[in-house]
Amino acid sequence: MIEIIQSKHWIEWLINIAKFAFAFVPVLFILLLIPLERRGAGFIQDRQGPNRSYFRLPYFGKIRLFGWVHNASDGLKLFFKENYAPHGVNKLLFLLAPAIPFAVVLIAPAVIPWFAPMVFTFGEEVIRISGQNVNTDVGLLLLFAISALSAYGAVLAGWASKSKYSLLGGLRTTAMIISYEVCLGISIMGILLLAGSFRLDQIIAWQDAHVWGVVAQPVAFFCFLIAMIAETGRAPFDVAEGEPELVAGFHTEYGAMQFGLFYMGEYSHIGINSILVSILFFGGYSIPFVSTSTIQSNVGISLGVLAFVFVFAILAFLHLLYRYSRYLKKSSYANKSAILREYSLYKIVGWAAAALLLAAGVISIMYFKPAYTLIDGQAVYGIGVALGTAFIQILVLLAKAVFFCWVWIWIRWTLPRFRYDHVMNLGWKVILNVAIVNLVITAFIVKLIGD
Amino acid sequence: MKVLAPNGEKLNLMPLNVGPSHGATHGCLRYFCALDGESIVATATEIGYLHRGFEKMAEQGTWQQVIPYTDRLNYCSAMMNNIAYCRAVESAYEIEITERNKVIRVIVNELSRMADHSICVAAAAQDLGSTTGFFYLFDSREMMMVIWEKLTGARLTNSYARIGGLYRDTYHGFEDDVLEVCKQAEKNLKDIHAVFDRNRIFLDRTVGVGKISKERAIDWGWTGPCLRATGVASDLRKDEAYYDYETYDWSVVTGSTGDVYDRLMVRLVEMEESIKIVRQALKRLKPGPIDIVDPRIRVPAHDLTYQDMESLIGRFKSVYEGVRVPKGEFYSGSEVANGELGFTLISDGTGKPWRIKVRPPCLTQFAAFQELVEGSMLADSVATLSSLNIIAGELDR
Repeated sequence: MIEIIQSKHWIEWLINIAKFAFAFVPVLFILLLIPLERRGAGFIQDRQGPNRSYFRLPYFGKIRLFGWVHNASDGLKLFFKENYAPHGVNKLLFLLAPAIPFAVVLIAPAVIPWFAPMVFTFGEEVIRISGQNVNTDVGLLLLFAISALSAYGAVLAGWASKSKYSLLGGLRTTAMIISYEVCLGISIMGILLLAGSFRLDQIIAWQDAHVWGVVAQPVAFFCFLIAMIAETGRAPFDVAEGEPELVAGFHTEYGAMQFGLFYMGEYSHIGINSILVSILFFGGYSIPFVSTSTIQSNVGISLGVLAFVFVFAILAFLHLLYRYSRYLKKSSYANKSAILREYSLYKIVGWAAAALLLAAGVISIMYFKPAYTLIDGQAVYGIGVALGTAFIQILVLLAKAVFFCWVWIWIRWTLPRFRYDHVMNLGWKVILNVAIVNLVITAFIVKLIGD
Repeated sequence: MKVLAPNGEKLNLMPLNVGPSHGATHGCLRYFCALDGESIVATATEIGYLHRGFEKMAEQGTWQQVIPYTDRLNYCSAMMNNIAYCRAVESAYEIEITERNKVIRVIVNELSRMADHSICVAAAAQDLGSTTGFFYLFDSREMMMVIWEKLTGARLTNSYARIGGLYRDTYHGFEDDVLEVCKQAEKNLKDIHAVFDRNRIFLDRTVGVGKISKERAIDWGWTGPCLRATGVASDLRKDEAYYDYETYDWSVVTGSTGDVYDRLMVRLVEMEESIKIVRQALKRLKPGPIDIVDPRIRVPAHDLTYQDMESLIGRFKSVYEGVRVPKGEFYSGSEVANGELGFTLISDGTGKPWRIKVRPPCLTQFAAFQELVEGSMLADSVATLSSLNIIAGELDR
């Protein structure tokens, strides 16, 4: 035991343990995605979306936070509702089923590389820390294996509910997830051949050295995206919960937080899948034309630029606020003064954050000039640079993932739902074949050109 | 469920009960499916969950008191039913209503038709999984509801027509509101066509689904957009023109194959035709009297009763005893959003109807439902049901 503890430096232990926090990134995605989806749906459908609930602050009055309070209260309501099980259900499976998709998704981030492997000097020692929690050669396979387990949630729920609608929903899910797992696996084989590894960090390294996966494997990207949406069970592939014919599919009989858990499982699944798409086809944490060593040698400037990006985003947000405030002032809404009060808080917070970030950026550019030591001909920096670089890379990865989350929402609120047999046709007769042809062609090219 | 098929084959089927409280059966109706996997081998339909005894209730009051009951027939286009009923009573009297009344009734009819078609296609979009399509179409419908509110005071079950007249004249600014609705509806129609017309998923779900031939549709007694979708150009507004519909410039929309796609698209194109009619009608809307001047038929205006002895008597008589429809049996069918809404009136010459029989348009369409869905998949039955536009209010009466 002592030997295991002593095999690593204490700072290595500390960072490795801190990395466990990444398990909760899917939970963060839930917090982001629920408001994003509901307000996004409102945006697409020419309506407001949920924005009713508020908390009160002195002077500023009702604070709605653009609908976040509403969604938080909806979530809270689900927690306090009665857990109800219909008569005659299989109690154990009925209670267990909603937990599975959510629990599984908490394991999935273990193999995702969040940042490039850190190498830094700490005191006398050189410390290396990998970007993922579980540093294994079967990374991607493990991820697929884990996320495929979430099908059990739907299947067991469908079976245990003792309702025919649920049963049909569960059966549909089983068939669909099995079919689309095949497409999913085959469609990424091309990029795996190019990178020559199942390790996600090596796939990113290959993309960093050559081009993004989406340029090298455009066909695979589209196959993968479709298969991924289908595997998540989201519209237009949500035949499992096809609400008109099957009421709500496998979760017909669920209410309260049990129902909420299915949704949380689905949303965190979207989060994980978005991260996966950005890793496999959009370079993961890497920034085009900027290598990790470039970031490290210019870490002050990089952090400064990051701060400026944030300042720009805040200014854009403030611009919207001011424009809408002007519109409100002219309008005849009864509650316009209350809304303007509320906005004044956002404006204050926005300006303060912009000023602070601007100052931080300037300071970082001017004073953050790291020292380095040469080890094996490579510059190795201290822990500050390593953490700063990791921070930038995590944000880059998350930004890409959030964009794909929006793609998910966008697709859901644009397209009608497939019929069950059409989904199967698309999976087996179109996507699988396209993916196989793509794989064969890629294999030829890789063999001919060599690497 | 072990079943012996008529041809001697032994089948193992799963019975599935869809409705009466089910998301896909808008309103209350039930169809019972025997499923082989996901395909429907046999189905039986059941109606009557929303039966309120409209026809019996109509016999209890006077002829005028039936009008609010008719709102509850097809509650998606309530005023069309009033107008159809009033037209039936007026045809029993063989009277002509005033010119302005005709034009207002045409405008209200066509706006109601647009609202009804909006609901049908929007609900179909929702059933096909596209919530966005639903909201796009509900946009202009909401504006119509605001007009109804200003016109009649109610949003959903609004009654506007009266025997020989209207509840009241239009409000100030009615024309502008209607024009604005037309503009918005055109925009929404453009949006909805952009969402659906070339969408592969939508086409897969609707083309060739729930098909019926011209001959079978006529055999079942179909009318309205569902019949027109099979290619029969039958429209009472043209065939037995009333309210000068023949003088407006519009055309009867027909489909070709009679599947779900055709039924939905016929409705969308009919909305465009309705906009055309409304625009022309607005130009013809000239100031003039609304009610016919006959205290035996139309209750005299309120201010007249204070000055005129005959009006006061007329008012008392028609409120207490009801208007006296001539003795006999009359039938009048009007083209409402779903098809032909027919009223058979039997009068014994008193102020109360002796019998009123309604011919609801969607009853015949729902009767053919099992023929449409047997052999198709469960999801198709939902698409078929929503394309037929079954309104339980008029189905069960």
